[in-house]
Amino acid sequence: MNGYVVTPVRYLGRWSIRAIRSLGSAGYLAVGAVGALKNVEIWGGRLVPQMVAIGVASVPIALFIATFTGIVLTLQASYTLTDAVPMYFVGALVGKTMILELGPVLTGLALAGRVGAGVASEIGTMRVTEQIDALETLAYDPVAYLVVPRVLAGLIMFPVVVVLATAMGVVAGWGSSLALLDMSSAEFVKGLRLFFEPWDVQFAAIKSVSFGLVVTGVGASYGFHTRGGAAGVGVATTRAVVTSSMLILALDALWALLLL
Amino acid sequence: MSIELRDVHRAFRKNDVLRGIDLEVVEGETLSLIGYSGSGKSVLLKHIVGLITPDRGEVLVDGKNVNQLDVEELNEVRRDVGYVFQFAALFDSMSIADNVAMGLRRVPGLYEEEIVARVRECLALVDLDNVEERYPSELSGGMVKRAGLARAIATRPKYLLYDEPTTGLDPVTATVIDRLIIRMKEDLGVTGIVITHDMESAFRISDRIAMLHEGRLRVIGTVREIQESDDAFLRAFIEGRPELMESTS
Repeated sequence: MNGYVVTPVRYLGRWSIRAIRSLGSAGYLAVGAVGALKNVEIWGGRLVPQMVAIGVASVPIALFIATFTGIVLTLQASYTLTDAVPMYFVGALVGKTMILELGPVLTGLALAGRVGAGVASEIGTMRVTEQIDALETLAYDPVAYLVVPRVLAGLIMFPVVVVLATAMGVVAGWGSSLALLDMSSAEFVKGLRLFFEPWDVQFAAIKSVSFGLVVTGVGASYGFHTRGGAAGVGVATTRAVVTSSMLILALDALWALLLL
Repeated sequence: MSIELRDVHRAFRKNDVLRGIDLEVVEGETLSLIGYSGSGKSVLLKHIVGLITPDRGEVLVDGKNVNQLDVEELNEVRRDVGYVFQFAALFDSMSIADNVAMGLRRVPGLYEEEIVARVRECLALVDLDNVEERYPSELSGGMVKRAGLARAIATRPKYLLYDEPTTGLDPVTATVIDRLIIRMKEDLGVTGIVITHDMESAFRISDRIAMLHEGRLRVIGTVREIQESDDAFLRAFIEGRPELMESTS
């Protein structure tokens, strides 16, 4: 009986200690990354390749997700709104939902898997194979070399990918409203423009920048502090994806609370 | 000109790995560091390039306390100390040429043509031909070790630290690496510290040998002194006979 009580308490205690330790390590790395910004000669040449790896290479998966999201959103809007409100509201719902919520969040979550896992496993492997130590012995600041270009690439490229994905989602919604519903382009566009606010795009951009920071920063932190060989890399990668996904959802709610 | 450790202590959580190491490696000599697995040899070596900082004590390279240097000063020291990692630690996303050039790209005032020429020269020194464009995963174990050595000597360091350079290699390739270590000393005048478990190799390449045991230097001496020592732990290690150690406890 006692074991049933003690085990969850012990588990919670260990989890709390680990969370605090991870937070401390991430904070320490963040301070180091800000300090390493001055070493442009180390990270400068690595920024564009990282922008390609993190941003450009993520576009296909982001567009794929956005396409089907746009189609489903249109069909669900039509199903919900039938006979209650004019059909052009389908355009309003698709546009508003894609820009404010699904474009940034679904793209963020997809990239938490693709980019976050990639960053954590790559840096983690370099840690356990002493490549990070080797960088230091060759007079490179590993934070400037590995962390700064990835985080900057995330900050720059996440909004770009989100904008493309959102546009794709709206276009897919538009196309499916023509092909699958009995709607005209004029109706869909009327709805799309009805509630559109330029601020919505800024709001999505702010969210996606913060998601870019979280995904790359969390991935880099777990990777950088990896211990214990291949198993350690696996653990770091899993934790990076889970933590950044949770933080994306928490930030999503925070931004809605603060900015809407 | 020397590497000196003074009363160096280092613990990891409750595990006291180094418990007061005093050691001086003088210019031009090769010192082999032997000891049982987990005795702290790699930890000791990493102190010399500032990868690990001591809890207590000092690490001096050419009289400079490694742990009191700012980043630029530490980088200068690191250019003078080449480090050959146990598994080479080559950057697997880069070609061999780029691996060897990495340290050179941090040397102020070196032009790209000079870097390319130096890379070729270093690869030739370790007898690696036509591997510039290949990746670490495409090389054999012995070639990877030699490429790691080429990277370490690229900045023409005064000191070379070798972490188990022959571990996992066949006897012939291990001998090739031993000859390279001797060549680094004789041709380039490099001072070396070599971690090894291979006593034949240690006798072949060393001027002195030191044994690390339970966080302290248990024995240190010339090759002859080590061969003639009657220290039970040392004899057990050299001869691979644990019963010699048990007889003293």
